[in-house]
Formats: sequence, C-alpha cells, structure tokens
Amino acid sequence: MLKKRLVGIVTIRNGWAVQSFGYRRYLPLGKAEWLVENLDRWGADEILVQVIDRSIASSGPDFDLLERLGNLGLETPLIYAGGIRSVSDGVKAIQLGADRIVVDSLLHGNQESVKELSIQLGAQAMIASMPLACEGDTIMWLNYRNGISTPVMSNSLDLIESGMISEVLVTDWLHEGKPGCFDQNLISKFPLQEVPLIAFGGLSVPEHMSALLYRNNVVAIGVGNFLSYNEHSIQKYKEALTDDFLRLSNYESNYSLLADV
Amino acid sequence: MSDLQFCKRCLYATTHPLGLVLDDEGVCSGCRIHEEKNSLDWDKRWAMLEGLVKPYRNQEVKNYDCIVPVTGSQDSYFIVHLVKERLGLNPLLVTYNKYFNTPLGIRNLANLRIRFNCDIVYQNINPVSVKKITGTTLRRFGSVYWPILAGHTVFPVQTAVRYKVPLIIWGAHQGLEQVGMFSHEHEVEMTRRYRKDHDLMGHEADDLISIFDTLKEDDIWQYRYPDDRDLNTVGVRGIYLGNYVRWDSKAQHEQMMREYDYRTAFFNRTFDCYDYVDCFNYMDIHDQLKLYKHGYSKVTDHACREIRFGRLTRQEALALVRKHEQAPLKYIDQFCDWLGITPRALQFLMDQYRNPEFWKETDVGTWEFNGWSSQYEVEKIIDDNPVEHPDIFVGNDSLEHGRDAKYITIGKGWS
Repeated sequence: MLKKRLVGIVTIRNGWAVQSFGYRRYLPLGKAEWLVENLDRWGADEILVQVIDRSIASSGPDFDLLERLGNLGLETPLIYAGGIRSVSDGVKAIQLGADRIVVDSLLHGNQESVKELSIQLGAQAMIASMPLACEGDTIMWLNYRNGISTPVMSNSLDLIESGMISEVLVTDWLHEGKPGCFDQNLISKFPLQEVPLIAFGGLSVPEHMSALLYRNNVVAIGVGNFLSYNEHSIQKYKEALTDDFLRLSNYESNYSLLADV
Repeated sequence: MSDLQFCKRCLYATTHPLGLVLDDEGVCSGCRIHEEKNSLDWDKRWAMLEGLVKPYRNQEVKNYDCIVPVTGSQDSYFIVHLVKERLGLNPLLVTYNKYFNTPLGIRNLANLRIRFNCDIVYQNINPVSVKKITGTTLRRFGSVYWPILAGHTVFPVQTAVRYKVPLIIWGAHQGLEQVGMFSHEHEVEMTRRYRKDHDLMGHEADDLISIFDTLKEDDIWQYRYPDDRDLNTVGVRGIYLGNYVRWDSKAQHEQMMREYDYRTAFFNRTFDCYDYVDCFNYMDIHDQLKLYKHGYSKVTDHACREIRFGRLTRQEALALVRKHEQAPLKYIDQFCDWLGITPRALQFLMDQYRNPEFWKETDVGTWEFNGWSSQYEVEKIIDDNPVEHPDIFVGNDSLEHGRDAKYITIGKGWS
C-alpha cells in the first residue's frame, strides 16, 4: 500500500516562524531554518514552508529563505508556499530547492499561470491551497488577501479536476491552531472527492488524524503549531497512529551516551 | 527580520532576537501572554502538575525522581523549593561550572544544597577547551557566553540519560516569559530545536568546528545534545514550572531571601538585584555585547517584566533603562586575564558586533548609540517631566561577598 504522509508545516510571517491561530493571531517561534532542520531530523514525511505575508505585500516568494533552506541539505521533500505571482516565480522556487509549490492567489486571479507552471514543472509539483470553512451545507473558500469568503468557483474546480494540480491543501482556517478542532465536513463535503487532499488546521488528536487517513481521498495530514510543544512530536504522532498508513517513526543516533551500557 | 516597531505597553521592539509579534492594537505577544497570569486558574494548573509528575516518583528509593538544573542565582532556590518541598520529589541537582563564578554565587549555591539537603552533580569542563571555545564564539558570533548557555542546557539532559532519570524540571520558559512564544496552556516542554535556535544562537557544538580554527572534536564533544534515540530510550522530557505556577521572579526571590537566606547584589547595568549574581560577566561583558548586537540590554528585559506586573510605569521603566544600559563595565580585566587577551584587542573584537542599525562610528573609537531606548515615543514626555528611579529591589550583599573580585573556578562552600 502506498504510504500516506505526515506533513510538518512551518508558517512564516514578517521573517519569523510563527504559531498561527485562525489566520488572525500569531505568536513568534524562531527562525524557520531551525524548525525545518528539526522536522527533517525527526522524520517528517514532507515539510511545507508557507510564507503568509508575501502575496498580500505583493513581494514575491521569499527566495532568500529558500536559499537558506537549500543549504541545510534536507532529506525530506520540501513544499514552498507564499507569494508566487508568476510562472518564473514558481520555476525559481523549484530551482532553489523546493520539490513542490503551493498556489493560492494564482488560483483566484491567474489560472493561466497555474496551467503553464503545471506544464513546466509537472502536475506532481503543483498543490492548490484552499482555506475553507463550512457555512451550513455550503463550503466557503477564503480569499485570505481580502478576507472575503465565497463558494468555491467552478473554474477553479475544473482546473483542479483537469489534472493540472496533483493535490489540494484543505485548510480549516477557522480552527487553525485550535487543538482537536479540524472540521471533517470539509473533507466529506469537498466537491471533488477523487482529488487527493492534504488536511490541515486544528489537527492535533491522533484519533482525528486516523479518521482522516482512513478516507481514500486524504493522502496526507498537516500539523503546524502542535509540533513545537514537545520533543519528538513527529515520532510521537506516528507511534500514536498505529494503523499502517505512515512510514515508521525513527530516532536519529550519532553519538549515543548509552552505547556502552 | 522586520522593521523596528514598539509595543504600546512595554519597551520591546519587533527586532527582539527571540521574535516578537504585535497585534492589531499594537500590543506585543509577550504582553498578551502575560495577561494569562491574571486569568488562569493556577490552583487547577498546580493540580495538573502534580498529576504530571506522579508517574515519575520512585517508590523504592533506588533512584532520583527528577533532575533539577541549578546555579547560584536566578530562580534556582524557588525551583528547588517547589520540587522538593511542595511536590515532595527527590531531585538530583545538576550544575554546570561557568568559570566566571562570583564568591556570592558560590555561596548561594552551597547554601542551596545545604538548606534543601539535596544531592548535586557538578560538571567541570577542562579550562583549556572552555577558553578555546570562548575565544571562537567571541570571534565568530560575538558571544562570550555560548559555552555557559550550551553547558547549562545540555548537562542536565546528558545527566538524565546517564542516570536514567527521565524527568527534568526547569523554571520558567524564557521565550514564553519574554516574547509570548507560547501560551501557558500549550504546556511547552524542552526541545533541542528551541535550545539551538535561541540559547545557542543557531550554533550547536559541532557547528563550531572549522578548518579555519584550532577547535577540535575533543574540545566540543561535551556540549553535544544527547541522541534522539537515547532520549527516547530513557523517555527524557523537560517540563517548565512556569506553565503551572504564576511565575513572578521578583516576588519569588524575595520569598527565598526571607525563608532561605538567598543573597543578592547591586549591579551597574540593571536595577534587578536578584538575577545573575553568580556571574561576573553576565551583567557585564555579555550584557554589553547584547547592547552592541541588538540595541538593547538586560535592563530592558527587567523593565518590561516589571511593567507587565504593574510595578513600574512605562516612563519609570524607560528612565531606569536609560540610567543603567550604558553603565561602564566593572570586570573586564578579570575576563582579559582569564582569556589571555588585551582589553584593546577585546574591544576591537566586540566592536565588530556593533549592529549598524543601532551604532554609528562618528570618529575613530567613538560611537553614537541609536538603540531602542533612543527611539521610544515617550522620550519627549520623560525629557519634559523627569521621572524618579523607583527603588523596588533589595541588594543585601555584593558579588565579591567580602572577597576579591576574582573568578572562583571550584568552590565547595563559603564562609
């Protein structure tokens, strides 16, 4: 069986890695490269670095950050999100070491660039970000640049369904950072049930994660804030998810103090 | 990382090296998290702590219940008081020899282990390696304190692995207390990532080895963090009491002064007489380097803490910062003798780390300061209305403790 993935998510705002709560409140964590390095050592299956203020400021991707991350020599696949305005931005992000990129703003306003990026990089490198919330039976899609939520546009769904996008990052933005609060309706009611999804936002309880991973269309789960509270959080989650969905946990050992005991 | 913006409540700015976030009202993350101290149910949180430590109690008295890192200052007395007398645990105290020990710090540490009747383990790294590392970290990233921070944060973890005592109990989490990195309710625990990012300024022990330096693996191996596998095998975890106790360093120190004869001292460069009395250099050269690199110094940390507790107004706090932060160093000769460097060479090295955002060389060897305290909006208010310097801390001894101002490398007791 193809393994599913536990994605470590690092959110960056104003140059700092932060905890993010509901897309509106933030607490500082430190330097992104050390969080990423740590997730790599812990054995995250994939690492998503999302720089959340680049599109709003129209300042483009954080290429300096990508260079610093590239210098870490990561073994874990790296996803980059934030500020991708054009085909050249996306291509350069890949050239600087990202394995995949996430598009969000482009989905709202420049779908031709999404198609061109998919042609140049391959669909496997393309992830669509969709911050969603349930309002009654309707799934609403947040445009985080202007704070307005609307029903998911059919042309965006068509683009995703066309195969130009490999996976959709479904973020429960209302519950982001709140422990154990991910709204599973976002997955069950997502309009495209055949498209592989990455679930993120308020996921901290192994039972909830396990329930999501049992769904055929969920290929990965993302965890952000909660990874910074304890040592070996990635390994602990993997050990708690006893079903055979994920790669086994691993604890690195180079200079053991117990080796001679 | 970001443009300089100040919190409207305390004196911190967004260039704080731990990171700082301002909310829509212009109030910083540190002040917001501090509000929790007045809203959380601390009795309930203490009960949570009692439940947390319960599985770690040794029923057969064959091993210690926990590891407690201590020094001859900071919050060590209060931590041991909570662990031993309120939680009823049997701790193994561990302490890293920082070499810059004051007679008062040696006295306080000896008094601590005697008054609380605890076993203690000392870590003395050989002086040749410590001096080599200090020289390297001073040259490479302007820190004379890296070995101490590294030793103090790694030795307890190594001891936990070696003695197979999985629980380490620390005092307050500095990232939480200063900049609101976490909520108390996140119950954050010790991590290697935090240590590297913030305590070690991004440099772990092995990062110090370079073909352009004389440092060898023999010099740095004692500072290596234990393996992930070792930590997992023993089940090591480090918890912070500050998540379960309403942490108030000033009030706690004063309680320890009354009940256990913790002794304190005045400093030139801050008004807080309680922290760091065990070290000649923390509030001296180390503090000067902090001012050079970051545009503020420890007195600003103390001032922000006291503003948040409501014991100083913002204006009073700023007046105290301006009074202390440029005070001359007292113990530079001792450091130069110890490291084998001339004061002029030391100043040259330190000047390399003056941040051009905050310092401008107006003439050879003459520097103009434009740090945080020069830029606050309340500056004019203070100039127009001179503010008193409140005297809210009590110094009842001196760093020298009646002796010469000399480092005590090994000190077992006091007189």
